[in-house]
Amino acid sequence: MHPFGDLSAYLDGALSPETRASVQAHLDACALCRRRLAELRGTARLIAALPAPVPSRSLVPRVSVPVWLAPLRTFSTFASGAALFLFLASAVVSSFPRMTSAGSAPAAAPAPAASALDTRGGATAATSSPNASLSDPEKRAAPAAATASPGAAFNVVTPSPVPAPAERTVTADQAVKTRQDAGSAAPSSDVALAARSERGGDQAPFNPFPWVWLALGVTFAALSFFLGRRLRST
Amino acid sequence: MGPDAGGATEALLDRARRGDAPAFERLALELERPLYRHAARMLGHDDAEDCVQDALLSAWKSLASFEGTSFRAWVFRIVTNRALDRLRSRRRHPELPLDPPAEDDDSAGWAEPAAPGPELADLASDREALRVVEEALAHIPADQRAALLLRDVEGFAYEEIATITSTEIGTVKSRIHRGRLAVRNILISRGWRGSSG
Repeated sequence: MHPFGDLSAYLDGALSPETRASVQAHLDACALCRRRLAELRGTARLIAALPAPVPSRSLVPRVSVPVWLAPLRTFSTFASGAALFLFLASAVVSSFPRMTSAGSAPAAAPAPAASALDTRGGATAATSSPNASLSDPEKRAAPAAATASPGAAFNVVTPSPVPAPAERTVTADQAVKTRQDAGSAAPSSDVALAARSERGGDQAPFNPFPWVWLALGVTFAALSFFLGRRLRST
Repeated sequence: MGPDAGGATEALLDRARRGDAPAFERLALELERPLYRHAARMLGHDDAEDCVQDALLSAWKSLASFEGTSFRAWVFRIVTNRALDRLRSRRRHPELPLDPPAEDDDSAGWAEPAAPGPELADLASDREALRVVEEALAHIPADQRAALLLRDVEGFAYEEIATITSTEIGTVKSRIHRGRLAVRNILISRGWRGSSG
């Protein structure tokens, strides 16, 4: 009787020593079983030689990434959007009362950028001579550019309530230069500013809220960006 | 594919079992392709990726319960079980039983070439033969296919395959033989002569 049922196990070396010896003895004498063993061996080799499919993406779960990372990133993205919206909203809202008060001043319109520069130091300019505040324009330009007096930028009569910070800085610098060129001629804008500072400088101080929202928005956006990179890289 | 007895693998496994997630990810990365290859041939490409990813995540979560010596065999067991579960849940091919009624191995027919002779093309060295093998594997019962792939492709021993598929060695022996014989019969019916593979 042919040991057909044992040929695969024989091929795989999975038979007990006794059975293996018995099958071996049969194979020595049986051409049919040798042929079928060769066919099974050939089949096994073909199966082993099949081209290996490759996954289209990484299948390793990112278990080293904390579970809270993805929700935190989603939260950061929404928080960033919300903060930026509040920045715009509060900037627009806070600009309205000042627009009214500035509009009531007779000569408030001439130099919006200059007033942006001057509002912070408005009280000083008002108490001392306007020309004294111009005596050292370089010194004044630095803090003005650095802080950019944001709340004041929105309090000025300006068609665009949300100018880009870079623009404001440049405009402030230009304003300083303009005033420097004017020398001690006490330009009308300075007079207007001095007048305005006397009238409304104390009742409408620098409003930091829009910039707090902007800072929060940028912070959350950066957090979202870095969390996103972390999620992708691991 | 050799057994994962390497010292580096053992060290990674120790770290992973203590909760070191990057160590587990490195272990999983080494097995990703073999696992996918196995799952894709069990399930087809569409479900294989999800199957492997689910299985690896499950392995991570239950790593503390792993007490065996071969991490590779353990993960293959999870993937194979998931693949068989998915196949069972499919109703598209109810005519293919996972494990047909046991029969005497000797009674399984040995097909003879329809027209044996030198005029038949030898498929063994041909890409066509591999295509026929893929097709044949897709048509044999899933339990036989799993055992056959674990043996011929992944190189597991019969004892390991018995553990992976939660069966007796005798059943493994029967499945491998019948699966291999079925593939051989399909090859023979397509003109394969079988001796040069």
